[in-house]
Amino acid sequence: MSAVRVRNLTKEFTLSAHRPAHRNFKDLFRSKPPASATSARFLALEDVSFEVERGEVFGIIGRNGAGKSTLLKILSSILRPTKGRVELNGRVGSLLEVGAGFHPDLTGRENIFLNAAILGLKHSEIIRKLDEIVAFSGVEKHLDEPVKHYSSGMYMRLAFAVAAHIEPEILLIDEVLAVGDADFQKKSIQRVEQIGQHGQAVLLVSHNIQTVLRLCKRAVYLDQGRVVSLGNADEVTASYLKIGGANRGSRRYHDGVYAPGDGIVRLRGVRVRDSEGTTCGTLDIGTRLGIEIEFEVLESGTALFPSITIHSERGPVLWATDAGTTWHGSPRSAGRYMEVAWIPENTLSDGVLRVAVAVHSFRPPRTHFVEHDAVVFHAVETAAGARGRFTGHIESPVRPLLEWTLEHE
Amino acid sequence: MPVTVIDHSGKSLWSSFSEYRHTGTLFLFLALRDIRLRYRQTVFGVGWAVVQPLLPMLIFASVFSRLHVTTGTLPYPLYVLSGFAPWIFIGNAVTGASPTFVNNFAMINKIYFPRAVLPMAVVAALALDGAVATAALLVVSTWYGYGPVWSWLLLPLVGLAAVLVAMAAGVAAASLTAVLRDIKNVVPFLVQLWMYASPVLYSVELIPAPLRRFAGFNPVTGVLSAFRACLFATAPDWSLIAQSFVSTLMLIACAAALFHWLEADLAERV
Repeated sequence: MSAVRVRNLTKEFTLSAHRPAHRNFKDLFRSKPPASATSARFLALEDVSFEVERGEVFGIIGRNGAGKSTLLKILSSILRPTKGRVELNGRVGSLLEVGAGFHPDLTGRENIFLNAAILGLKHSEIIRKLDEIVAFSGVEKHLDEPVKHYSSGMYMRLAFAVAAHIEPEILLIDEVLAVGDADFQKKSIQRVEQIGQHGQAVLLVSHNIQTVLRLCKRAVYLDQGRVVSLGNADEVTASYLKIGGANRGSRRYHDGVYAPGDGIVRLRGVRVRDSEGTTCGTLDIGTRLGIEIEFEVLESGTALFPSITIHSERGPVLWATDAGTTWHGSPRSAGRYMEVAWIPENTLSDGVLRVAVAVHSFRPPRTHFVEHDAVVFHAVETAAGARGRFTGHIESPVRPLLEWTLEHE
Repeated sequence: MPVTVIDHSGKSLWSSFSEYRHTGTLFLFLALRDIRLRYRQTVFGVGWAVVQPLLPMLIFASVFSRLHVTTGTLPYPLYVLSGFAPWIFIGNAVTGASPTFVNNFAMINKIYFPRAVLPMAVVAALALDGAVATAALLVVSTWYGYGPVWSWLLLPLVGLAAVLVAMAAGVAAASLTAVLRDIKNVVPFLVQLWMYASPVLYSVELIPAPLRRFAGFNPVTGVLSAFRACLFATAPDWSLIAQSFVSTLMLIACAAALFHWLEADLAERV
């Protein structure tokens, strides 16, 4: 018998700006519903089905807004599905946000008891696990201080420690393994591994492909609420990274709820290109490469500047913005803009690289959107370049061709 | 192993109820949180529970005693205080419970737990203040020469009834506030109206006769009259108390139905 069975799950949201529900007395007594009640609807999940066995760590991957968090919220009874059915065999514990339910004015010990009770433990169970939780979190010395005096690392560690010890038959985890320092991350990942080995089912949402590959045998890749691929974690993550996929190296955003942005600016497209303007899914690190961002300014008058971040599987590699150019300080008029950030030849290391793009403005400082994993490309290396005739493993995320000078006495 | 099925139809009223059998620990720690936060870093601490009914008593006693309000043989200040001790608890509990779903949205949106525990824990935490105020009232009564009497032992039972009324009204107020934000501003005003509709400052005998027959359908009327009967060892008005018993059950049923109707989409509504 499987631990979790999800069948044709669909969740539709009525967008809050158009929500027809009564928000105040004026609406309540209005004979006709307000004009905006033509209500924009948004399908966060569409016909999603999968099963998770006992003792399995199951990965859920996808871009922002793919429906991953909505899925976990339905599984933990926070949201109600519009259609479809979920069967859960066993007690469910969820860790959707580290420290949800913590109160800054209570001490560490008081928060452990309260949080464990919220997560469904009985008093006797909490007392039994208290020492283990405290030891795992490593905050023994500060246990009787209010958590508002904790460093953010201590706070996160304590919160994760409580949730990691509730030992439900089904554990739902959303992006929380990314907290704390490297040491603690290692400990948390080991803990999840352990939980899986004890016959509990774990559903894990993560942006970190490495974590998913390490912990999960199977995974599902969601995009715009639909299952894109399901099955073996290697294949699913590969399809997420779009290796061999159709829109590798380029991504367009069409109108509607999916185009990232706000009332001032909206993203229209992101593309990896070479000097001739050809879209590239695979690129030689020895050539110049451009990251092209196309965005539409809907409202004139704001000084905008885009930024890019490139990630490898091991983490961020480089960040750059055009905030230093002459025109970033002047307000932009409405219309379409295309900006290209040129990365010189011999800068990047080889591997699968993911590009995040964002648009910001100053006064007040504001980020209009951040689109993670907007495009993915495969950087390959040829014989020339920094490597020369060196054949070993190269650890660094950048690999510029430096000028070497030689002195010999 | 328990099998949970989640679909659009949501939970049945019965399975919702049965969830609350296992929430004792959560209830306790939420109430403890409220109590700790309320009195931590305050100089006067639990003393506030005594001062709160005492101050309005002094004001009303000094103003209304000139109006010769009929309170039987009881001195008017003592009569007012005996009304304020339970009333301040009920009033504060309803006002305090009403914004709980809105204020705890971050938690509601990230963790599932039986949600009605939130307003109910607020009420339970305030019940401690009610008990402190009642203890102070017993001292004052003794000083006035009423008691101690055996019927004081029944006061916890009346307190329990007050807690039930406050919890039902608190859960209803919290549910409505989650759907309709205006309610947050209306609740303190309604609570004030409720006080004047209840025999806090006056006795039931002052209510015009045609209305007096139905006075017990305000659950607080029964609570106050039972409270005073126990406190001063007078004969209780059984028909009044019976009416309040029925209306309390009705209030609880309404609050449960309202909450159940709202609960399934609480995270989307708030």
